[in-house]
Amino acid sequence: MQTISSPQNVLATCPACGLLCDDVAVSWQSADAKPAVTLKSGKPCAKAIAFFSSPLKTTSPMIAGKPVSLADALGRVAELTAAAQSPLIAGLSTDLAGFRAAYPFAQKIKAEMMHMNVQSSLRNTKVLQSTGWQTTTLTEVKNRADMIVLIGTDVVSHNPRFFERAVWVDDAMFTDPSARKIVYLGGDDLDVAPGLSPVGVQPTVMPCATKYLPEVTAALRALLQGKTLKVDAVAGVAVSALDQLVEQLKQAKYAVLVWVAKDLDFPHAELTIQNITESVAILNQHSRAMGLALGGSDGDTTVNYAHTWLDGLTLGEHTLDTHDLVIWVNSFSPDKPAPIVNKPVIVFGHPDTVFNTAPDVFIPIATPGLDAAGTLFRVDSSVVLPLKKVRETALPTLAEVMQQLEAKLA
Amino acid sequence: MITLLKNAKLIDPAHGKDGVKEDIYIRDGRIIAKPGDSEKINQTIDLNGKIVMAGAIDMHSHIGGGKVNIARMMLPEYQETKRYTEPEAHICSPSCTHNATPSTTDTGMRYIEMGYTAAFEPAILAINARQAHLEMGDTPMIDKGGYAMLGNDDYFLRLLAGKADQKAINDYVAWTLHATQTIGIKVVNPGGISAFKFNQRRLNLDENNVHYQVTPRQILQSLSRAVNELGIAKPLHVHCNNLGAAGNFQTTLDTMGASDGIPMHLTHIQFHSYGTEGDKKFSSAAAQIAQALNSNKHISADVGQILFGQTVTASGDNMMQHLNAKIANPKKSVIMDIECDAGCGVVPFKYRDQNYVNALQWAIGLEIFLSVEDPWRIFLTTDHPNGAPFTSYPHLIRLLMDKSFRNDAFAKLNLDAQAMSNLTSLNREYSLYEIATMTRAAAAKLIGLQDRGHLGVGAAADITVYTDQEDKEAMFSKPDYVFKDGELVVKDGKVVKVVWGKTHTTKPAYDAGVEKGLKDYFDQYHTIQLDNFKISNDEIAQDGRNQVIDHYKN
Repeated sequence: MQTISSPQNVLATCPACGLLCDDVAVSWQSADAKPAVTLKSGKPCAKAIAFFSSPLKTTSPMIAGKPVSLADALGRVAELTAAAQSPLIAGLSTDLAGFRAAYPFAQKIKAEMMHMNVQSSLRNTKVLQSTGWQTTTLTEVKNRADMIVLIGTDVVSHNPRFFERAVWVDDAMFTDPSARKIVYLGGDDLDVAPGLSPVGVQPTVMPCATKYLPEVTAALRALLQGKTLKVDAVAGVAVSALDQLVEQLKQAKYAVLVWVAKDLDFPHAELTIQNITESVAILNQHSRAMGLALGGSDGDTTVNYAHTWLDGLTLGEHTLDTHDLVIWVNSFSPDKPAPIVNKPVIVFGHPDTVFNTAPDVFIPIATPGLDAAGTLFRVDSSVVLPLKKVRETALPTLAEVMQQLEAKLA
Repeated sequence: MITLLKNAKLIDPAHGKDGVKEDIYIRDGRIIAKPGDSEKINQTIDLNGKIVMAGAIDMHSHIGGGKVNIARMMLPEYQETKRYTEPEAHICSPSCTHNATPSTTDTGMRYIEMGYTAAFEPAILAINARQAHLEMGDTPMIDKGGYAMLGNDDYFLRLLAGKADQKAINDYVAWTLHATQTIGIKVVNPGGISAFKFNQRRLNLDENNVHYQVTPRQILQSLSRAVNELGIAKPLHVHCNNLGAAGNFQTTLDTMGASDGIPMHLTHIQFHSYGTEGDKKFSSAAAQIAQALNSNKHISADVGQILFGQTVTASGDNMMQHLNAKIANPKKSVIMDIECDAGCGVVPFKYRDQNYVNALQWAIGLEIFLSVEDPWRIFLTTDHPNGAPFTSYPHLIRLLMDKSFRNDAFAKLNLDAQAMSNLTSLNREYSLYEIATMTRAAAAKLIGLQDRGHLGVGAAADITVYTDQEDKEAMFSKPDYVFKDGELVVKDGKVVKVVWGKTHTTKPAYDAGVEKGLKDYFDQYHTIQLDNFKISNDEIAQDGRNQVIDHYKN
């Protein structure tokens, strides 16, 4: 039986994007109604509302689409993992407790692990492992940044409240927030409206298609290095405009160059990110600037970090082809179903996950930050926040399921 | 259940015992007095005169938190050097993964295999404390604890610049210890991490942070006084200004006088003992530093010895690490400004014995060890992983205990560096008693661990048993037995049982009114709720692991 025990109010932490806003008031007028989701600012956030309004469903574990008991479902999982030579735990959308339980399970069944955001995460990891970088975090941006350049992204498609929480704030310690200079450099289908300052100053928009960002960021880096370009424009962006950007960056007291790896979806995007991070490094020789990688979802930052300290290495990429069993984890979102593959699939997933093809086993699990307490890393690293349980369900957490499974495997 | 360790040869400086033959009785994880004849002894191990010390305590080792994990992420190549052949930095057990950035599991295993039963993370950014505790929580075998960094956080600097009274500072310091679950307070490059955010590139002891118009000296005075007045055992842990810079010894000497006689601990002092003499304008100031340490009884220090080989430096000092990034090897680095709280800089280094500066750094560390007279005020560290991985401690102990071994190593160094060091004129050889003092008794006393670091009745039964050998490196690499809280966990240098250790903290009282100002500050300037900044005991102690112990004594 899954019910909300009583109408309640919780100041929750929202895991729907990498910003982990922890000022989200969730309240129920009655057990059956959708909760009211209120932010401190009074403005709505579609991602937060969707996350906290997720319907409370009674979903049973299933084997091949037919409801079974949890014990039977776990029995089948144990059989499939015992038969597999080379299992892959993929998706891996979970929080710290879930990953701490999944990691020894993976060791036990000799499974590789891969997060659903691996392709975008690796773009950043490759830069970190090649040259490193110089970066900052949200509170520094909020209090110091006098110039913010968004490269190939509007950020708000991923992190809807970025401008509200870190840019157009009422007060900052070291700068006048309403006077911040906002520049959008390149990107496809951007929503630049949030870049409008509270005093009505439009952002500078330097249009260029995402696919041309390798050239444009390389030109920016070269100009910052003091090199001369023998062309008037790079991929449609006037060099004179880039020159002006360079001058503004040098004059800034604290410039922040922002990217979202997911938006840089083209081959070798890591080289474009490196152009951005090396531009920051050049600026820091004489003035102050910092990079800021945003985006983040489905516990990707958390899972990467925890894997690194438990294993010594970052999470890598694996192809589904070389594995004979896929164990898919999607705790946070019903919209991230397992890939359709011609091999056994086990899903530990959000209870609302809709399948076109029923997996061999489906075990619905609690969503951290909604059905269970938890812990997540914010996308900018350093900050780790507790997630709260905001409603009662009978669903087990991934960690609880893994513990039961471990007993079955022993 | 009573365990008897028979015929032990105790080296227990806390009780002045140097090779005293005794039996040790253990019950419920504690050392007990000899039980009555009617009590049953369940287990007897005859040690036949083997050396017995308390478990060693590493009072300064970067074992958890953001910058350590960044080092792991940035340096996948370190995981692929398992057959590394450079012995200097890599003396350890055969199962060591041979790198400067071990996983949390390897960290705990390598420590306990050497007879270490506790390690303290010395640079916990308050905002990042949860991560540090998560990593330490996943570190098996040993006890853990940490020092919270203050002095570059904007909340403190606003208090200081606003001429807040000392009580307000004290309350904030005490509140921070509670919120971050730590046992000490550290200051890194006082005021300098903040100054770097305002584009200052160096900060001397009496130079103003351009924004706050306060000096490092004022920061040291305020924080050392807070720590002292709150009655915390651990003196303020100070990473001085001008880390690694030629000529920085004067800053270090001046820093010793900055607290007006209030105790302070100067950490990795080797990196702060450089002069500017000679053709290369880089020289040893170990003699001046050691002399000052000998005469300033309120100052203690750990060395931060470097040993040759590949490692990575991870520091909160982003101002100086940004300068060091130019000599990174391999050539990559991470520099961060973090949450109006602090910063970090992670820079890989390869120390080479034929490099003039590196060779002299090696000699400077040893000169300090050998010239500081009181082993209760000088501590054995490599500032893991900054000078070398902690797994090289047995090698370092041999360098201290074996003059001919030391001089042989010295003779292989860069010749110009040899010419600039008086190391071979220092004849001192550390005794086992002195080693036990600096790695056990003194470390426990410094941090305020009343029931660790000694073998008296009532002490936690963290016990290491060695076979005395001529080769001290071999001796300290592989104890015969290690007991953690009374359980036999290592036999013949190999882990035989996995345990999880405890979390040591100190929690002095504070005026709850301190949260009013903090709440306003967080609501206005921060990006998380004040309540979420605070870490509860339950977050750390889970499933019977990592029990939180409060050492504060009124």
